[in-house]
Amino acid sequence: MPMYQVKPVFGDDIKTDLPTCMYKLPNIHAQRSASGCSEHALQNGTEVVDPAFRDLEVRQDKIMRRLYELKAAVDGLAKTVTTPDADLDQTVTSLSQSPTATSFRGTADLDSLLGKDLGALRDIVINANPARPPLTLLVLHAMLCQRYRVLSSVHVHSSVSGVPAQLLSCLGPRHADSYVRQRFQLGFTLIWKDVSKLQMKFSIQNMCPIEGEANVARFLFRLVAPYPSDPALATLVDSWVDTAFFQLAEGSAKERSAVLRALNGALGRDPWLAGPELSLADIACYCCVLQTGPAASSPANVQRWLKACENLGHFGPANPLLQ
Amino acid sequence: FTQSQGVWLGISSQPPSIHLSSKGKQCFLVLRQQQFNVQALVAVGERASKQMVKFAANINKESIVDVEAVVKKVEQTIESCSQQDVELHIERIFVVSQAEPRLPLQLEDCVRPEGEGDEVRMRARALGPRTTTSQAIFRLQSRVCQLFRDTLTNKGFVEIQTPKIISAASEGGANVFTVSYFKTSAYLAQSPQLYKQMCICADFDKVFCVGPVFRAEDSNTHRHLTEFVGLDIELAFNYHYHEVIESITDTMVQIFKGLRDKFQTEIQTVGKQYPSEPFKFLEPTLRLEYSEGVAMLREAGVEMGDEEDLSTPNEKLLGRLVKEKYDTDFYVLDKYPLAVRPFYTMPDPNDKKYSNSYDMFMRGEEILSGAQRIHDAQLLTERAMHHNIDLEKIKSYIDSFRYGAPPHGGGGIGLERVCMLYLGLHNVRQTSMFPRDPKRLTP
Repeated sequence: MPMYQVKPVFGDDIKTDLPTCMYKLPNIHAQRSASGCSEHALQNGTEVVDPAFRDLEVRQDKIMRRLYELKAAVDGLAKTVTTPDADLDQTVTSLSQSPTATSFRGTADLDSLLGKDLGALRDIVINANPARPPLTLLVLHAMLCQRYRVLSSVHVHSSVSGVPAQLLSCLGPRHADSYVRQRFQLGFTLIWKDVSKLQMKFSIQNMCPIEGEANVARFLFRLVAPYPSDPALATLVDSWVDTAFFQLAEGSAKERSAVLRALNGALGRDPWLAGPELSLADIACYCCVLQTGPAASSPANVQRWLKACENLGHFGPANPLLQ
Repeated sequence: FTQSQGVWLGISSQPPSIHLSSKGKQCFLVLRQQQFNVQALVAVGERASKQMVKFAANINKESIVDVEAVVKKVEQTIESCSQQDVELHIERIFVVSQAEPRLPLQLEDCVRPEGEGDEVRMRARALGPRTTTSQAIFRLQSRVCQLFRDTLTNKGFVEIQTPKIISAASEGGANVFTVSYFKTSAYLAQSPQLYKQMCICADFDKVFCVGPVFRAEDSNTHRHLTEFVGLDIELAFNYHYHEVIESITDTMVQIFKGLRDKFQTEIQTVGKQYPSEPFKFLEPTLRLEYSEGVAMLREAGVEMGDEEDLSTPNEKLLGRLVKEKYDTDFYVLDKYPLAVRPFYTMPDPNDKKYSNSYDMFMRGEEILSGAQRIHDAQLLTERAMHHNIDLEKIKSYIDSFRYGAPPHGGGGIGLERVCMLYLGLHNVRQTSMFPRDPKRLTP
């Protein structure tokens, strides 16, 4: 990072006495930088010397690249054996597409979703009770970080005397650039506080606080990907989200087993809960199912679906808190 | 404890109120010891004669008495005392030191919520702080100072003492008191800044000092004093000046936690007379950037320029906005514009308009102004010339950086103001034992 620079202490014109009785090698560094055309001469030199060598190098590069592509394709196919095709497109065809290209469509989208940027960090503040950590939001946070530059921070409010260490590090390691808040598109501030219901505050002039993990999850998911445009499908997603939070996480044992049976039935027909791809319904249900009991105690379809979710890799942040 | 235990109450019990019942057979006294008071009763009976009751009734208020009594449980809670479930039945009572019959103020007035007796109370300083509220305030203040020292000493800081009689005004400007110094004159130090920095250059790495600070500002506000206790910190850092911010905010958070965990009784006592919201904070401390603060103010309808300083009403409004969004009464505003900071502030290497300086706020009022200091004599000279400061007057200051100075920064807080804001009081004179302002020089 650019900082105050110390001026060089030594001058650069130190004279040294070189011994004259030794064989002198020509300076290999001076040759390159001495004149601009010498570089060109060097290249020409190798061409003249060994054109076949360069052809060989080029061919080798091509073969290596082809090998990598094949390896990635095989990996993708291996995943599709256990996972429905949500990520197949990404792994096989988009090798040449750099990941940074997708994450920088960020700012334009944020302006349309969240309102015009007034020159300051758009900070999402979430107040959560450490007794009930919001796993869904941690997963959504990881997905947000893949799409935007997010400045994440965790605070402990004075109403709580202390939280376990894993809750302090649940948003991952501190970003190297975090000393300049301006460089980020979005802020994600998690405050562990003694609140009865999870609460989110974003724009205090234009928005009232949003309460409830389900509602905050819906808000955050819309920043990641749009809801399905088909109204029936969108309603299905919402219905599963509500089921997850109200009946699975907070319901009695009877309600929970009823939900698990319903999940089992739904997952028998389709690989994901709502439509052909992973959606908020799957994220919410995954977190709530695992919060109520270990994976092994769920019905067969549910277990298969849980494994598929894990293979996608989004659920990493939730795992340490599930133990 | 068992009922009817005998007890001897030591010397400093002072009855702030004495009531004689109509038939002269009983006398109620309220005895007080620092923050706590208890009802006591002298009744005609085996141990007390009628003359004794009369004697007790005639003791002047605020006298110091010695009492031997029996502690008895009562069925009805005594609302007016801090010890609500017992009372003392006095068997022997002696007057150790008599107070004058006419007191300059009535302590009942002192305990009333609004500042009616403020002026008189400020003058009779041997009497005013006897109220339970004042006792609580000053005990809390003493604890703040102690927590400050303990936290910093545990972090490896060295406490230093800096001189208060100095030859040149450290911050420059007219707000210094002049004293006659033999054949010449000298000044009373506005801040220990120069000396803190010299200690850092003298390889002490981390220093702090606690001592009086003198500001000859003719401001008659609720938060200014001409003399107050300054708690100042200065430290050298390794990679980035945010290490300084973190060190200072961590110290403040430890102070707040220490008060929250161990001094709830005192906070409640003060809250009875001066009710306020409990103080809230986040750990680690919230750090916002100046441009974010400006954006929040603009969103709320305030019009201000990018490099304009925050006026006091804007600071208060920003404090309210931050409180609403993050629910904290304590936060740091970082990266102030360079134009509004003193000449020794290090500019931001990434953006010329801003500087590596910060202010900290409690309940929307500023308690600390700090920065990374310029540690290069050349750059310091340039900035001083830019601000049209006479280089001759600060020659010794600049000289101290010519012999190898580490990058460093720091800041200072006022003890009285921090206590006032922590407890949610409204006048800094309530937290100063013997306040000094443009109109007050005694006691």
